[in-house]
Amino acid sequence: MTKRLLGFRDRAAVAGVGYTAFSKDSEVSTLTLACEAVLAALDDAGLEPGDVDGLATHRVGDSAPPSLVGPALGLRPPSWYLDQFGGGSVSHSVVGQAALAVASGVAETVVCYRAINARSEFRMGGTGRPLPASPEVQYQAPYGYVAPPQMYAMYARAHMTKYGTKAEHFGQLAVTQRANATKNPRALMRTPITLDDYLGSRWIAEPFRLLDCCLETDGACALVVTTAERARDLRRPPVLISAAAWGGGHSHLSSGSGDVTVTSAAELAPRLYGMAGAGPRDIDVAQIYDCFTYSVIVQLEDYGFCAKGEGGPYVAEGHTALGGRLPVNTHGGFLSEGYVHGINHIAEAVSQLRGDAGDRQTPGAEVALSTAQPGYVLAATSALILRKG
Amino acid sequence: MSERSERISGRGLIRPIPDRDSAAWWARTARHEFVLQGCDACGTLRFPARVYCHACRSRDWSWRPVEPTGTIESWIVTHQPFTPGAATPYVVVMVRLTAAPDCVMYGNWYRDREPHPGEPVQASFTYVDEELSLINWRPGSE
Ligand SMILES: [Zn+2]
Repeated sequence: MTKRLLGFRDRAAVAGVGYTAFSKDSEVSTLTLACEAVLAALDDAGLEPGDVDGLATHRVGDSAPPSLVGPALGLRPPSWYLDQFGGGSVSHSVVGQAALAVASGVAETVVCYRAINARSEFRMGGTGRPLPASPEVQYQAPYGYVAPPQMYAMYARAHMTKYGTKAEHFGQLAVTQRANATKNPRALMRTPITLDDYLGSRWIAEPFRLLDCCLETDGACALVVTTAERARDLRRPPVLISAAAWGGGHSHLSSGSGDVTVTSAAELAPRLYGMAGAGPRDIDVAQIYDCFTYSVIVQLEDYGFCAKGEGGPYVAEGHTALGGRLPVNTHGGFLSEGYVHGINHIAEAVSQLRGDAGDRQTPGAEVALSTAQPGYVLAATSALILRKG
Repeated sequence: MSERSERISGRGLIRPIPDRDSAAWWARTARHEFVLQGCDACGTLRFPARVYCHACRSRDWSWRPVEPTGTIESWIVTHQPFTPGAATPYVVVMVRLTAAPDCVMYGNWYRDREPHPGEPVQASFTYVDEELSLINWRPGSE
């Protein structure tokens, strides 16, 4: 059992990080965005395109696959590739699977990327394009229930009802993350906000206001994953992939449904912590999937940072702010930096562990958690624990 | 039991696309029958429609008329028009079924007040056309 949980702990590392600019309209194709981010990540690592033998991404029919990106950059045919179907819930599994490929020797240098024009071309969730032919959508769409903010609002309401979570808790999270974004030159939203700004923002789907919702962003981000051994010889300080877990969960969409205030993260967390040989107390900084304010609050509980139902007060007491007990979404998160569907959380975790996060740096950060959409949409989730090499 | 809604046509109805598992359920709903699948081997009720029983993996099942009632698990009030022609605001409820507490159904709520957490509700059929009716929800006390 112990051996199985150890898995590929610390055998792969993130050796490079690359970004494009974030915007509301990139004016270029997702293929161009992907190529730019991949090249930037290789440059950061001090590697050449010829070193790459694996590519990995995830998509929902909205972006360039590895089979286009590889030839577009003149890469050699990959030893391994991954073209995972899915949105934010699988974002961290892409890097986990790359780590598995590298640890097993199937590939040596894999670039993981996500490239989206999520504002100018393909907005998420039934806005501006045909609904997916999921067997469960038929039970929801006729009622005008089609978009992720509605679904998360539904679960947020249940949490408010059961645990007394308040609008002010959601608001404090939005305010805190915006404060972080003011220290991040890459962030799209850098003007500080107050709780009154939050409470005064327009309704999207009650109980969610505009400032509960993440940005919709054009941009790309890429990560170079290679063996820990090789990463030590490269340009940047290696960040080890201590644990990766993905899968699990059952759909809350329409079917068999227990307590809707608990996410798939609660099932995943023991496996993740088991592989890392660490627990919530060992995490110095966390990037927690913030498609909506509530998704952070519920994951603080489900990843064990506070008791069930206490995520709201935990945020309101300031524990997730810079300098707090557990700085969360230090880059401003999807609410304020930009939304690249998960991968920019991992990139920020790497930055924190390299110690190069500037004014938003968590002093002495050695272990970071980064998490995916916790499974309210499409059931599965994924997460990584990263460690300073 | 049935009611026609002004709002649903104004909202720009997105018609459900039944699949091979669900087509018979939609057909029964069009006849204003409130049914779930029941496993003929172990009796477990399930929704949405599918061939295998998740409790015992049997493929033997039949439609079971059940009490068209539930309780409010949660609800939202949508203000942002996510779908073309949406007449906002409108309320979507998530209802936990009395007959099958593991199962939830969605629906619209057309009362002037919002629902209460845990409020008992009853299903009502909203006629769209001969091939389609939708299950919506109203207070159980009505
Ligand atoms: Zn059965």
